[in-house]
This record gives sequence, C-alpha cells and structure tokens, in this order.
Amino acid sequence: MTEKLRTIIVEDEELARNLMKSFLAGNDKIEIIAECENGFEGVKMINELKPDLVFLDIQMPKITGFEMIELLDHKPQIIFATAYDQFAIKAFEHNAVDYLLKPYSKERLLEAVSKVSDRVQKEGVESDVAEKIMNFPREGFIDRVVVKDRHKIHIIPVDNIRYIESMDDYVMIYTNEGRHIKQKTMKYFEDSLDPHSFARIHRSYIVKIDQINEIQQYEKESYIVILHDKTKLKVSKTGYKLLKEVLNF
Amino acid sequence: MELRHPFITNPRLTIFYGIFWLIASAVMMLILIFSNGLDYWAAFVEVFTSILVFAFIGASIWYVIRFSTLENNSILRIILAHLIAASIIVFIWMYLNVILVKLLNPQALEWMQKGMINKIFGGYLMYVIYVIFFYAVNYYFSFKEKVRNEGKLIALVKEAELHALKSQINPHFLFNSLNSISSLTMTDPAKAQEMVINLSQLMRYSLKHGQHEKVLFKQELENNKLYLQIEKVRFGSKLSPVFDIDEKCLQLNIPNMILQPLYENAIKYGVYEATEPVEIKTVCRCNEDFLQITIKNSYDPNVISKRGEGIGLRNIRDRLEIIYGNPHLMTLEDNRKEFTVTLTIPQKMN
Repeated sequence: MTEKLRTIIVEDEELARNLMKSFLAGNDKIEIIAECENGFEGVKMINELKPDLVFLDIQMPKITGFEMIELLDHKPQIIFATAYDQFAIKAFEHNAVDYLLKPYSKERLLEAVSKVSDRVQKEGVESDVAEKIMNFPREGFIDRVVVKDRHKIHIIPVDNIRYIESMDDYVMIYTNEGRHIKQKTMKYFEDSLDPHSFARIHRSYIVKIDQINEIQQYEKESYIVILHDKTKLKVSKTGYKLLKEVLNF
Repeated sequence: MELRHPFITNPRLTIFYGIFWLIASAVMMLILIFSNGLDYWAAFVEVFTSILVFAFIGASIWYVIRFSTLENNSILRIILAHLIAASIIVFIWMYLNVILVKLLNPQALEWMQKGMINKIFGGYLMYVIYVIFFYAVNYYFSFKEKVRNEGKLIALVKEAELHALKSQINPHFLFNSLNSISSLTMTDPAKAQEMVINLSQLMRYSLKHGQHEKVLFKQELENNKLYLQIEKVRFGSKLSPVFDIDEKCLQLNIPNMILQPLYENAIKYGVYEATEPVEIKTVCRCNEDFLQITIKNSYDPNVISKRGEGIGLRNIRDRLEIIYGNPHLMTLEDNRKEFTVTLTIPQKMN
C-alpha cells in the first residue's frame, strides 16, 4: 500500500465536516491533517501544510472556495463540495473536476477519493484543477477581488480599483491604498469587470473610467489618459475608440 | 386619491359634459322660440346666460364634493357645506346673468326681474343635480381605482407566495439542511428527527397560508422561529436570534410571509459571512393603531460590498404600500456595522 493522501477539509459547517469525517473514518487512503472553518484559514493551512488532497466547500464566509484557490501557492488535488450552485456545477463539468453534491452518500465520496488516489499514483500530487477552475469565465460581473500579499488576505471592492496593469503572467491592481499583484490574465479582468465602469484602454491597461481626469494627444496617432492623481497611462488606437464610445465625445 | 378635477384628468368626460349642455341649450332655445314666442336673439341670450354660464361655473362644484366626502364627514356638515356653496354659486350665477343680459339684451331685463324667484329656485335645483352627478363621478373613479389596486395586490401576493415557497424550498437552504440531517442521523438521531419535523412544518405553513392576506402576528412569528431553528442547526453558535416581543402584540394582524425574507437577508449577509456569533435581534412593540417590528443584524462591512434594497425588500415595501396605501411603512438603516429593517403595520383599516 502506498502512503495515505494527506488531506485537509475546508468546510464552514460543523455538521457537514462531521459527516465527511465519519464517512472517511478508517479509510486507508486518507489521512486528515487539518480542518478549516473558512477560506482564510484554508489558504493559510494549505500553503503551510502542502496537503495532497483538499475537500473544498464553495459557499463559505469571507471568501468563497473559488476565490480561495486563486490564493494558493501550493496546488493540491481538490474535491469540491456544494449544495446548489449552478455556476459551480457548470465549471466542474466543463473541466472534468471531481465534485460532491450535498447531501452525498458514503459510496459517492469514496468513489471520488479512489479517482483522485489513482490519479495521484499515475501523475503525482501536483494538480492543475485550481488553474482550470480559476480561469473558467464567471457569469456576470465581479464586485470584489481577493488578493494576498505576504501573509495577509485583502478583499478589494472593484469600486476601489483605480487601474490594472499587465505584468507577464500577472496583473498589478492599483487601488487608493496601494497595489496588489494577482495571478490572473488581463482578459479575465476585461471580461469580468463591468464595461460601464472599466475600459481596456491598452494591451497593458484597464482603467476605472471615473478615475480619468484628462485625455491628451501624445503623438500624431497616440493618446494618454491622465488620472486624478496625475498617473499617466498609454492609450492604444482601439482603446481611444472605446473611450470615445463610453464617454461620448 | 385624485385631487385634480375629473375634467382635467379625463378629457372624454369633459367632451360628453360639453355635448350634453350644448344639446340641452339647443332644446331650451327651441322651446323658448316656439312655445314662449321669444325672438332668436332673446332666446339665445337667455339660454347662454342661464344654461351655459351655469355649466361653466357648475364645474367647480366638484371641489365641494371632493372636500366633503360622504365617508369622512357628518351629514350636518355636508348639508351645511352644500348650502353655503349653493348660495355662493347661485349668487355668482345670478349676478353674471344680470350683467350679461344688461350688456347683450337690455330689453329683457324687466321680463327677467319678474322670473327672478323662479330662476333662483332653478339655480338651487341645478346645484342639486350637479351634486348627484359629481358624487356619481367620484364614486365611479374611486371604484375603478380600487379595482386596479386589487389587481395589483393579487399579483404581488402571488409573487410573494411564490418567492416564499421558493425561499422556503430555496435549494441552498433545502440541500444544506438535508445534508445537516444526513450528518445528524449518525451522531444525534433525535435531533435529526426534530429537524425533519421542523422542516415539514415550515413548508406546510407556506402552503397553507398561501391564499390568505393576513394572519395573526403570533403565527407569523412562530413560523419564522421555526425557520431560525432550522438554520440554527446548521450555523450553530454563529446564529444567535434574540426576541424582545411585547406579549400584547401577538394577537395583532400582519400580512403573511412578510418576515421571512427579512430573516433570510439577515442570515445571508450577517451570519453567513461571519466567523463570530451574530445576533439577529427582533423587537416588537405595538399600540392599538400600529404594530412595529424591528429586525437588526450586525455584519462585516469589509466583506459585504454594497447593500441596497434588493428584490426581497422591495417586494415587502410594495406589498405594504398596496395593502395599506402608504409607501413609508418599511424603513432601512445601515450604519456600516448594523443593518436594521423596521416595519410598521397599521391595525386600523380605513
């Protein structure tokens, strides 16, 4: 027998945790090394303990399971659990990710565990589940962004964002208080932010429209926007057209 | 109720009114010419001054009706009001009559003076006819408004019923509760049984009271306590409901299923996002005119970005407005720490 999967349960409801633990009790594939009651704790424990497998509830206080996986440095295997979330189910099916619908049976849980266990034996512990789910397009517009610097998690309401700058595989989010780096694509933000409030003015910039103070011609065919705090950002030709459209000038 | 004159709000009525008096004038003229032997001009002046002038100033009688409605005033006051109004209108009418006849057909003055008493009597009679006419118009309009409001009310209640059904069988609520029951069957079967029973009772209430408009506050409160009990099993010490209910309020009336959306919101925004215990406090006070219910929950402003008046709250406001005709029966207060909803339920229907 191979080693047991070191497992963390992230679930806010005690009864739901108890149920899962009792279903897993005595299982020779699983060793539960931690239980977390919320997403903050979950991020901390997963990054610290680097488990092989995480049972992850979607609907949780503070930050959701989806927001949580965006903050993981260590990417374990994940089995999601949800009571009813049409979007989540769509995301799981589309990415062939393991998930449990509450209430689930012991058989169903063990089946998911065996699948993961087989996969770990073939492919190793590292998993791209988090990556896949993270970049699955959201429905509607987001109203907050969750970021982590060093050890603290920040929840930024999108209203506080001034602009976003692309940095290779990351983006830098500038707010009134400071800046935060996040592992997401510009495309994701372009699609997830309300186009009435945000505009992609350049390959490298998304700007909050009400932050713009002035639009200046820079060279013959190029422009810059100047924000209220005097920050200057380049505007591409398409970006200029877009601004003309939203601002009606 | 409408304060503007029906002739302003309803042009069709005005046209009918005009046509009616023109025909009456024409008939009157023919009678004066052919049976009383007046010449055309004299007949015209007579009809113009008495009938058309009265038709014009008579329109103002509506305001007298409007401000001395049959429902809100004693008979004596109404009669007195009409007597005074009638005298004023008849006086103005006679005065205009004399002036116009003097201007247009001075020869007729003498003939007119002879018939003065008859004419004044006729003026009062016309006034009475007007009063009956306007009361009928008024009654018709308020009847129409009532029918319209009732239709709206039925639609809103339907929607609230559906919403209540949906939220009591809110899939999230239902599946999570079932998962809790699944867990309890192993650790605490007695509690699992209790929860199944509570869940059934909650659903039965929403099915049973779907059609009725109002229930006793006691019933509505008990139902919501049941709901909170079920959620309490899930959330444990995180959910801490506190009730401060004045006993004598329990027998008062309240529209059914109006409280649950408020508790749902308190749980969704207060308890669900919290990691510490959250108190949901219900305070109820009343006198013989009002039942006032305040539901307050604390929340974490760092997690909840914005809280406006969502669909649930808007539905409650609309329902209260339709039932009681007052848009200010629900007030919201948000100090970025606590969210407070206050409902004021009138107990006397007018």
